[in-house]
Amino acid sequence: MPETALPKSWNKESKPHKFCPGCGQALALKILGQAIDELDIQKKMIYATDIGCSLLSWSMFNVDTIQTHHGRTLPLSVGFKKAKPEAIVVSFTGDGGGYAIGAQHLLNTAMRNDPITVILINNANYAMTGGQLAPTTLLNQKTTTAPKGRELAQGKPFKGPEMLAQITSEDAHIARGISTNYQQLLEMYKKAISNQIEGRGFSFVEVIAMCPVNWHTDAQQSLDFAEIEMAKIYPIGELKCPQK
Amino acid sequence: MPTKIILAGEGGQGVQTVAKIIAVTAQRSGKNSSYLPAFGVEQRGGVSLAYLQISSKPITYPRFAKADMVVAFCDRAIPAIKDFLSKDTLFIYDNSVIKNKSLEKIKNLINNYLAMPALALAKEKLSSKVANVVLLGGIIAHLKEIDYQEFEKTLLEEFADKIIKKPEIKDLNLGALKAGIEIAEKFNKEETPFSGIEATEIKTNFSKEKISWQRFPEYCKGCGLCIVRCPTKALQFSRDSGFLGNPMPIVTIEKCIGCGNCMQICPDGAIKVEKST
Ligand SMILES: Cc1ncc(C[n+]2csc(CCOP(=O)(O)OP(=O)(O)O)c2C)c(N)n1
Ligand code: SF4
Ligand code: SF4
Ligand code: SF4
Repeated sequence: MPETALPKSWNKESKPHKFCPGCGQALALKILGQAIDELDIQKKMIYATDIGCSLLSWSMFNVDTIQTHHGRTLPLSVGFKKAKPEAIVVSFTGDGGGYAIGAQHLLNTAMRNDPITVILINNANYAMTGGQLAPTTLLNQKTTTAPKGRELAQGKPFKGPEMLAQITSEDAHIARGISTNYQQLLEMYKKAISNQIEGRGFSFVEVIAMCPVNWHTDAQQSLDFAEIEMAKIYPIGELKCPQK
Repeated sequence: MPTKIILAGEGGQGVQTVAKIIAVTAQRSGKNSSYLPAFGVEQRGGVSLAYLQISSKPITYPRFAKADMVVAFCDRAIPAIKDFLSKDTLFIYDNSVIKNKSLEKIKNLINNYLAMPALALAKEKLSSKVANVVLLGGIIAHLKEIDYQEFEKTLLEEFADKIIKKPEIKDLNLGALKAGIEIAEKFNKEETPFSGIEATEIKTNFSKEKISWQRFPEYCKGCGLCIVRCPTKALQFSRDSGFLGNPMPIVTIEKCIGCGNCMQICPDGAIKVEKST
């Protein structure tokens, strides 16, 4: 029986981790740790992280880890996979990294059905840099660069999994989970990573996650914003699941 | 007057606010000042460091190797400030937060110190949020060339927006500043040895029939998610501290049904629930 409540694949030396109190991104990584444990892939995988709060996870796991410029984690991961096809590559990025500066990489990686697993945190803002507007910011949601709230003129909230479901092959796994639903997200991760292991190709899980610091929310308000407001615009579920 | 000051603490402990207030006040009092925040990784994570310099002469470079004053807000600050200590450094620290085990590592480097029970005092008499301002009081007590009134002014300006929303914030901050100065002025090494707190043994295991509920204060950041997620309201904040000096939740085990919600929602792995069948 383990003495702690931490996933076995978490690096104990770097705990407590560097994420803010109540961070949904950290919760998503705890559940990823559990998935790594249950699939028993700690020694076979490569964890790739972006710039953004995701970078705070560079020492999260006892897993070989790579990292590069903001938004470029996917091509780095694809390159790694091509050089070492037996590695299980899991890329972790924010919504700024994946849907804005690195959107072209996400698009092309998905279109090519590259056999990597991408986990993208949707916290409706650019968190690391102080809460600016992101592609995923909700309409009327206030950010430091949209002080009156996002208007339609700044674009509609961006639905990544829905777009990817349109452009990917039938072998791709596409889902949206939420960090506050432990069992469901755990299953999504496991299916996504298995899709890569079983050689079907690309897999993607967007994870709705709280950012209490930039949302300026307490515990209950954080949960409500993620589970009610965000989930209304970003429906949770599997969009493509070849494994069925 | 000390001119090179290093402050270090956890993100969220208010290290940068303290540094900013000192830098701004020095400028408005006709001194030169420079303030360089240094965070672990970009905005968050790691220990938050502030390099601060005050001088009547121009300041040419914002960093430095040895400090005249070092201010430590938390245990993790100790390794970060170690190299800045010299035999002339004044070391200011919160002796209601920092553990003896951490102080042991720098004991032989310290000649001159000021131990301030900032968090304990703030918690008891004011609010735990102003512990940093108590430490600010201790620092400015050693910056005699700058008028105290000017510090008050900057402090109130810094919190002006918050004071509009919650007027009591004004008195909490002014009270903390005065308390800090008073501790510094009355400080006597003979009475207060160079020590901190012992790593306290707090109750971590709770159990009944088939349920075991365990907490890990060394991981808890006090976010409160576990409390709002508990279906039976079995959790509440206790007086025991988590790793940031935050309140750590405790269970009323009679009410616990062992559902595990609290364990699942905790981003830090600070709760473990086991239910045997
Ligand atoms: C090429 C480049 N452009 C801009 C930045 C500045 N920058 C750092 S983090 C970040 C935004 C991160 O937002 P997101 O990807 O949503 O991650 P989060 O912080 O929300 O987890 C930006 C713009 C950078 N580091 N590199
Ligand atoms: S800023 Fe937001 S996303 Fe980043 S660590 Fe803090 S809570 Fe998490
Ligand atoms: S959820 Fe975890 S970190 Fe947050 S208050 Fe509860 S035990 Fe502490
Ligand atoms: S296990 Fe369930 S009932 Fe018990 S404290 Fe945690 S959330 Fe509450």
